[in-house]
Amino acid sequence: MSSSLTEPTAPATHDHALKPEKSNLGLMRPDHSKSVIIDWLTTVDHKKIGIMYGAMALFFLLVGGLEALIIRAQLIVPENDLVSAERYNQLFTMHGTTMIFLAIMPLNAAFFNFLVPLQIGARDVAFPRINSFSLWAFVAGALVLNFSWLMQAFSELGWFTASGPTAGMTDFVPGMGWFGYAPLTERQFTGVGTDFWIMGLQILGIASLSAAMNFIATIINMRAPGMKMMRLPVFTWMTLIVSLLIVFAFPAITIALGQLMFDRVFDTSFFQVAQGGQPILWQHLFWIFGHPEVYILVLPAMGIVSEVLPTFSKKPLFGYSIVVFSGAVIGFLGFAVWSHHMFTTGLGKVATAAFSLLTMAIAVPTGVKIFNWIGTLWGGRVRFDAPMIFSVGFIWMFMMGGFSGIMHSAAPADAQQQDSYFVIAHFHYVAIGGILLASISGLYFWLPKILGKMWAGKLSTWVAILSTVGLNVTFFPMHFLGLIGMPRRTHTYLSGFGWDSYNMVCSIGAFILGFSILLFVIDIILLMTKGKPAGNDPWDARTLEWATTSPPRSYNFARTPIIPARDALWEHKHGAENRKITFVDEGSHGIHMPSQSWMPFVASFGFIPLGLGLCLMQAGVAYMGYVTISGLVIITLGATLWAIEGPGGYHIHPKEDEI
Amino acid sequence: MKHSFRGLIALVSSLIAIAFLAGCDTNTRMSTFDTKGPIAEAQLDLFMVTIWVSLFIFVLVGSVYIVAMFKFRERKNDDRPLPVQSHGNPLIEIGLIGASILLLVIIAVPTLRAIWYTHDFPVTEESKLGAWYQGEGLSAAEEDKPLTIRVEGYQWWWGFAYPQLGITSANELIIPAGKAIRLELRSKDVIHSFWLPRIAGKVDLIPGRSNGMWIQAGDSIEDWQEKSGATGSDEELRAAYARYLQEEIHNYYYGQCAEYCGDSHARMLFRASVVSDDDFASWVSEIKTGHQAPDDMAWEDWYAANDESPEKLTGDINEGLQLFMSRGKCATCHAVNGNPRAVGVAGPNLTKVASRLSVAAGWLNHRAEDGSVDIEQQYANFFKWIKEPNTVKPGNLMWKANGGGIGELEELLTDDEIHKISLYLQTLK
Repeated sequence: MSSSLTEPTAPATHDHALKPEKSNLGLMRPDHSKSVIIDWLTTVDHKKIGIMYGAMALFFLLVGGLEALIIRAQLIVPENDLVSAERYNQLFTMHGTTMIFLAIMPLNAAFFNFLVPLQIGARDVAFPRINSFSLWAFVAGALVLNFSWLMQAFSELGWFTASGPTAGMTDFVPGMGWFGYAPLTERQFTGVGTDFWIMGLQILGIASLSAAMNFIATIINMRAPGMKMMRLPVFTWMTLIVSLLIVFAFPAITIALGQLMFDRVFDTSFFQVAQGGQPILWQHLFWIFGHPEVYILVLPAMGIVSEVLPTFSKKPLFGYSIVVFSGAVIGFLGFAVWSHHMFTTGLGKVATAAFSLLTMAIAVPTGVKIFNWIGTLWGGRVRFDAPMIFSVGFIWMFMMGGFSGIMHSAAPADAQQQDSYFVIAHFHYVAIGGILLASISGLYFWLPKILGKMWAGKLSTWVAILSTVGLNVTFFPMHFLGLIGMPRRTHTYLSGFGWDSYNMVCSIGAFILGFSILLFVIDIILLMTKGKPAGNDPWDARTLEWATTSPPRSYNFARTPIIPARDALWEHKHGAENRKITFVDEGSHGIHMPSQSWMPFVASFGFIPLGLGLCLMQAGVAYMGYVTISGLVIITLGATLWAIEGPGGYHIHPKEDEI
Repeated sequence: MKHSFRGLIALVSSLIAIAFLAGCDTNTRMSTFDTKGPIAEAQLDLFMVTIWVSLFIFVLVGSVYIVAMFKFRERKNDDRPLPVQSHGNPLIEIGLIGASILLLVIIAVPTLRAIWYTHDFPVTEESKLGAWYQGEGLSAAEEDKPLTIRVEGYQWWWGFAYPQLGITSANELIIPAGKAIRLELRSKDVIHSFWLPRIAGKVDLIPGRSNGMWIQAGDSIEDWQEKSGATGSDEELRAAYARYLQEEIHNYYYGQCAEYCGDSHARMLFRASVVSDDDFASWVSEIKTGHQAPDDMAWEDWYAANDESPEKLTGDINEGLQLFMSRGKCATCHAVNGNPRAVGVAGPNLTKVASRLSVAAGWLNHRAEDGSVDIEQQYANFFKWIKEPNTVKPGNLMWKANGGGIGELEELLTDDEIHKISLYLQTLK
């Protein structure tokens, strides 16, 4: 039968219709495969997909963290030569790209995937095979992007030299900054690294877009009876808003990357000045994506905190409607502030004033959330279990990041802060102090549900202390470092500018932070190896996912619940009689489960030759154009077979008394 | 939990304090706190408004937050009934939203004022070239205009052209004190950013367009008078103002490129020397005149001798110049005013390069404690720069430029040759 992660540890007492389906193509669907590898490669179960996203995210968090530690080691003393200028520039480019696209976004996707169907009382997402496709497209994008490291190694060893379009260039890993400003990204200034970046990001964009559309369809259409929109958990609301942000923001970067690719491959002149192009166009397109992107990164974290705080205060979220509404306002206004990243580009007085004021405006709904979280604590009964410590830390650290954001919004003051270490301080406070702490909170909260095991020991306290200390020691001095003139993205600096001791303190802090993440990884390993069974509801929580077993059965709920109120599980446990969850009588029909499929994996596999082919073509390798085309063929073939094989499906009949 | 929680707060606070105090000196070379011009000052003042407002909110909200965590924490063996399941309080919400908006307005108003101030060039009589510039060659059309400097960004150095005065320099900007100056910012390759923090916040150099900004080193006489409350006759005030400029504003300022521009972005620094009107005028005229050939020969004579029998021009300086013009190919890219055959524009103009206090765009320094040139260090810097530009600035065109770089010579320049070129360069004072 299937692996032990999706079936309970108690002996199976229900009866499956075990005959695997045949697809319309006459091929077997890989349902109930005995091979663990095939099972996981072809799964369409949102819970397994979520776990895979999460595992990859944590892996890349460590990769990005390693890149950061090398950066800080290089900067610990002035005029250091631990790494060359080219390597340093590649490290900060990949650090940013990895953390944003390969760590935080998939970590958010992991939470969306695992939780949203459970929270809305559904069995899976609206399009299970697209869900699988998003995951494997993400893997393809990550592979293409990081393949560049291999090329760089070959180049260093003398086994490969670029020729053809990028002859003479030695950078194979992206080294133009994660924001890739033109015209530095044009072929005369950077080598194949930029092409790897373009293709990697395009593939990742497709993964995000397809997942976003899936979640919008799921949340709108697949809620259990009685689960009105204003009864949804805040986390699900944030998923919906973030998905809409993805759908509206990603096209901008898709177009920008496409234009840049055309400039580099076909000599068009979108951004090439000599032929009338405008470098500033890149900035506008990138930041129209880039600013909503940071809200895409942070709103799920806010959703997590909005679940954890009420649970551990034993009180509902203060001002639920306003919290939901402010999330929507943040999302909307997020599209109105992009040029605050461009205050120094000579926008002119009116545009500068407009973007300044709008950026200040966005502080209002963000502040509202903070007030409401504090209001949740007020009058409650606060338990400082592991998830709560991190959510509590989030509020504090995110506030500090928010203040430096307000300082940036005043454009004339920003003229000094922009492109200095002050900016680095700002976004690391909101990214680490905000997003990472909230994500760790979410992992401490939900991993018992996901894996069925409970945390042992108090390592979480050490993770909390060291990560907070590490974060503050690393990034607080950077505010000053920026204000006394140290520009960012500099691989070294001279002594005598007053920057030396600040840099040393920051570098020490970085290693403390890195150590805390190591402890966190150890804690997860201890959970997996030594954790005791968690039970369904170890935290006495409020939302539907805690009504299932830990881990949930493959079909989530034996019978579809009918939802009487917000915080449905809490009301069921502690509320009035008329607020209990009841169930739809589905008769003896059984639960219809979606069949597993190879096609999403096959289709997304095609992205690898597509991406690598184009990049190697730019590096002058012969016949790579054909490889690129073959990638397109594989994608098309996979998608076609996917359409033809049909939805499939099989039935499960759980016993009467199960959840 | 309680115990480690308190410990957590204590630990965090003390470490933040340590981080704060780690070198709390804000009077450093590129400090935005130690402003020496009205734009930087306006920007700093606005920043302080945001600091105060943020501090206010932080203390207020932070204290409510800490109180909530302590007052409502679960006790040991807590068997109280569940807390009241209140859902919110619309009145409090609206009040807090209103208060937030009010606080933001407090920031917004000075922000708008500062945006207009920092953008609009202040048209004053004192800033017009005719009012203060004492050098020659100023056309009538330019007399009514302020000094305009064209800043040209290259990977990884700065060109500073003064079109109204007919001169070009590089990497070390020379400007007069107390007058509004217009900068036109242009890039020849990728995006750079001009950041001279003590004078003004940065503006980008974007290829394909000309960004403008105005800067001023030191207050105008009216602003200075207002701030210092000085009184007296016109002459006394002018003398006191001159003293103020001399003591507080004339200085050697540090700047850096602040937009990632490729491999050696970290090494694209620049300097700005703020000097008196007299010193500015003499500098301009010295650049215009340029340099004579060694031993005070006229250039036609030197070239006549060199073309006919170069071995007769002896001495390190002469040989250095010969290398500069021939085997070293320096003149292909570098102009030296006065020398009719050194008119290259691909690299920095080297007129008066020996009077500059750094080389390689501010990266190799030879400024002595008293502000003069440290001759020995200068020699060492020139030597190093010519010997290994690829190490000092990886990727730069002096080393490798499609066949034209000195790293691409069949036989690289020998140490002796570099020695002579360096000695020659040191004569370009």
